[in-house]
This record gives sequence, C-alpha cells and structure tokens, in this order.
Amino acid sequence: MATTVPLARARRRPAARVWRDRLPGIVMGGPAVLVFLAMFIVPMFLAFVLSLTDWNGYSLNFTFIGFDNYTEAFRNPRTVDAAIFTAVVAFCGTVLCNAVGLFIAALIAGNSRANTLLRTIFFYPYIISSLIIGFLWSAMLSPEGAVNGLLGHLGVAPLPFLTEVTFAKASVILTIVWAHFGFNMILFLAGIKSVPTEFYEAATVDGASKWQQFRNVTLPLIAPVFTVNLVLTLVGLLKVYDVVLALTDGGPAGSTQTIVYQILRDSFGQSELGFGAAQSVILLIVTAVLGLAVTFARRGAEKKVAD
Amino acid sequence: MATTTHPTTPVTPPAAPPAPAAGPTSRARRRRVPGVGTVLKWVVLGLVALVMVVPLYIMVINAFKPQDAIISSPLAIGPDTFSLEYLRAALTSEKFNVVRAYGVTLLFVALVNVCGIALAAPVAYVIARGRSKWHLGLLLLFVSGLFIPGQVTLIPVVFVLRVLGLINTIPGFILFETAATLPVTIFLFAAYLRTVPRDIDEAAALDGAGKIRAFWSCIFPIMKPVVATIVVLNSISVWNDFVSPQIILGPSSGIYTVTTGVYAAVGEFSTDYTTVFPTLLLAVSPAILFFVLMQRHIIGGLVAGATKG
Repeated sequence: MATTVPLARARRRPAARVWRDRLPGIVMGGPAVLVFLAMFIVPMFLAFVLSLTDWNGYSLNFTFIGFDNYTEAFRNPRTVDAAIFTAVVAFCGTVLCNAVGLFIAALIAGNSRANTLLRTIFFYPYIISSLIIGFLWSAMLSPEGAVNGLLGHLGVAPLPFLTEVTFAKASVILTIVWAHFGFNMILFLAGIKSVPTEFYEAATVDGASKWQQFRNVTLPLIAPVFTVNLVLTLVGLLKVYDVVLALTDGGPAGSTQTIVYQILRDSFGQSELGFGAAQSVILLIVTAVLGLAVTFARRGAEKKVAD
Repeated sequence: MATTTHPTTPVTPPAAPPAPAAGPTSRARRRRVPGVGTVLKWVVLGLVALVMVVPLYIMVINAFKPQDAIISSPLAIGPDTFSLEYLRAALTSEKFNVVRAYGVTLLFVALVNVCGIALAAPVAYVIARGRSKWHLGLLLLFVSGLFIPGQVTLIPVVFVLRVLGLINTIPGFILFETAATLPVTIFLFAAYLRTVPRDIDEAAALDGAGKIRAFWSCIFPIMKPVVATIVVLNSISVWNDFVSPQIILGPSSGIYTVTTGVYAAVGEFSTDYTTVFPTLLLAVSPAILFFVLMQRHIIGGLVAGATKG
C-alpha cells in the first residue's frame, strides 16, 4: 500500500501538485538564498559596476567613468607600494607560519600532558582579535616599550621596531607569524595524528631514522593538510588589515600599508568608493587566481605522492 | 641498532624511570638516553613557549601598574606599584563602556548564531537530500562564498544596505554577518546531513509530519555536534570581527563592539600605557575564558571547518 501510492502519484503529476511537492523545499531554502544573494552575490557583481563609477559612498548619484579607476590603481604609487608590501607579507607570512607550524607540530605530536599544554600555549593568540594583538605588540615594541626595556637591561641600545621602515615591515610580519602559526600547527597536528601507526612501525623495522620517517612517511601523508594550510594562510594574508592598523597604522611614512588598508582608507576615509571598489576587484581576482594556482600545483604534488 | 652515546656530553640522568620492558627493545633503549636532540628539542620548545606567554604576562601585570613602573620594569610587579585604579578607570571609561560592549557583542554573537543556523540548517537539508542538478548548483553557489573575502564585498554591501535603508543599523550588520557565516555553515551541515540515514525522514513522514516539521522536530536535534562546531566557529569570528562593525555600524551609530570600542579607546592614546594595558586586558579576558573552557571544541571545530572546507 505504502509504496503504490507515491508511484501512482508520480505517474500523473499535474502542475499544481508538482509545485506543492516543491513548496517545502522552496520555503526551507528560499530565505538563505535570498540573504546570500543580497549580501554576497549581488555585491560581488556590484563591486565591478561600482568600480567603473566615481561613487562617493553617501549619495546614490554617480557617473560612469569607464576603466579610469583601474588605470589609476596601476599608476598610483601608494597602491603599487601597498600591493608590493602585501605580496611580501603574504609570501613571508605563509612560508614562516607553515614552517614554524610544521616544525612545532612535529616536535609535540605525542599525546603527553606537556605536549597538550604546549599546544594550548602556541595556539591561544589565534582566538584573540588581530586588532588587539596589534595593539599589544605596538605597546611592547614602541621606543620605550617592554622589548626595548628588556634590551636595555642586556645593554643593547633601543631598536626602532615600529619607526624605521625595514624594522616596521619585519615587525608586522613577525607579529602575524606569532599570532597565526598556532593555527597552522593545529592543522598539521591533526594531519600527523591521522597517519596510521603501522606505517611508523614498518619504517622502524626497516631501520629508518626519526628524520627519515618524518620525511618519507609523515610528510607525504599529510600533503592534503599542507595544501589547506598554504591556501588558507595565503588567502588570509592577502587581506591582512586589522593587525597593521593597530600595530603601525600603515607607518612609518606609509611603508606598511597593505592593499586592504589602502582600499578601506580610499573608500571610507577619502570617500572614493569607486576607486576602492576597483582595487577590491583586482584583489578578488588576484586572490582567486593565487588560491586556485596553489591548489592545483599542490594537487599535482599530492598525486605524485600517491603514485 | 647501535645506540651511540656521545662520550663528550656529560651523562644527563634520565628524567623518567626506565621505560617498561614490554615495549620494543629498540624504542625503549632510545628513550632511556636523552640525546642532544631531546635536550635541544625541549630548549627550543621552552623558548618558543616563553615568547608566546610573555606578551600575555606583560599585558596582565602592567594593567595594574602606573606608567613609570611599566616603562622602567615591564616584567616586574610588587606590592608598592600594584594598583587597581587603572583597571577601574578603564572599566568606567567614558570613551569605551566595556560592560556595554560585552553585552552588545554577546547579543550580536547570539543573533548571528541563531539567524545563521536557522537559515542554513533547512537549506543544507534540502541540498543533502536532493538529487537533481539544482541542488548541486545551490551547494556550489554557497560554497563559492568561501573564496570571496568579506572585505572585498564590503563596499558594495554598503551600497546595498544604503539602498535598503539598513546602513548604520543593527539589522543591517546582523544581515551581513549572518550571510558571511552561511558558506561554512551550509557546507558543514550538508556534509553532516548526508551521514544521517533517510529512514528517519521516512519514519517522520509515516507519522504524518510535513517535510518542514519533520526536519525541525526529528532531524535538527540529531545535528547537535555539528551545530556546536558551527556555534564555536561563528562566535569567535563575530566576537573578533573589527572591519564589518566599524564600517557597517560606524562610529555615528554610537554602537560599539569590543573591537571597535578598543579601537576608539586605545587608538588615540597608544602611548598612555595605563589606558592601553587595562583596556586590552578587559577586551581579551572573555575570549581567553571562552578558550580555556571550550578548548577541545574550538580546536576540533577549527580542524573540521578547515579540512572539510
């Protein structure tokens, strides 16, 4: 009985009934789709439309000015400098976060109490807002801050951590690494722990050293985790902003401004939202291309490992 | 397997009692001799741990000290310099009403969690149960959001909210934050729901429940573990978000979250450490407390969110 009724219904389906069957799905899916369209998909296309205008953010009147904002973005020295510094931060930050994260994860992969405590200590900055981390390090690295105070006790003259261009750039990168490598470490740890112990036992029987085991057993097997770590860190660092705002506020002399810093300042500080939108579109394309490129490059590496 | 002992290094007494004989002999023998490598490992780990903990320590103790003591001896605290006055000043600051900011931010965290889950759970169910290409397309639509950085869409979102008349309002902010949580939430929910057997749907249908009621009363309660993961992830991201509340709510709205409040209070006075450290301490405490209480869930949730996404 129970099976024949739906079958009979399916054979002749009047339009009204089809819609009645679909109705629950539409009611359940509709609101989420609407909200997502309004706040994500429509804005993404609007970003492109607005990037062709001189919108100031307040009025709803604006004129189309073609691709002027894009040529301006490539010509404007501030934008170019910000793009270069962002690239440096993204590259150095991704390499350092993953190198330190993997190194520490390899050292504390065991299940002892000390390792659990260390894991907590290395990871905790990740759950603190980057803005607050920026302010904290800004207070510690300032000319009379704690770090220079400690250096003074050791007889070292104060260092211009935030006031000299090269030092400030390094400070930004190292602060990011300090706050973020714990996240990479956690993912690497999860990967390392998912490697079956038989593999290590087999390697030990074959006489492999700890380093050889790590190099030839652990690393190949955590290749997918490696990809996730690289992509997430890279994509995250391309839009780094909060920590720079709090740590250096883009200084000294604008040398640590990142591209998002630039976008938000042009958009909401200078009311040039059209120009900001153009830079956003460029950032979106660069992010997507780099993210996909790393994913595909790594997929090749993962396959090679699997063979 | 020869375990080479280094004759030059003085024999460090083994810290642990001899390893149990039950283990494989080669491993047991290796553990008994703490080589240079082991010592080096703990030195490195200890140093890194110090670098991680000292900033937190500096923030905590210097929240209770006057300016000159902070500058002259940042690592020390004694009864002569200890004072609660600065923390009290930060708590009652006119620039940044911390208690109110806690309340506002918690309210936002709760609202975004409720709205996000209420929107995402049913659509994830439809996606997980559907077999047509429409359902796959729906999933792809939401997952594409994982690759769009929120800062990039912020400018056009301001435009949309201005058209809707929701800019500088709480509903506008909640709407944006909720949408931002949807991609990860729907992705994890749909992945989880695929593992829930269809028998439950059918049982509910036999009892005469409609599809929507069947979902909320029979399926949703089963989703507890994945809902917990999402609540943890969303709560951290909303609590720590700075750019969206700063731009969408804006200082003109007079509504400050913990992060925008800290920015308003500390931004201008970053050399007055008697304001900086107590304010930062107050801003950080709830997050640290949450972390200590929920560590297992937070780490598990982050791993699930990152590796499945």
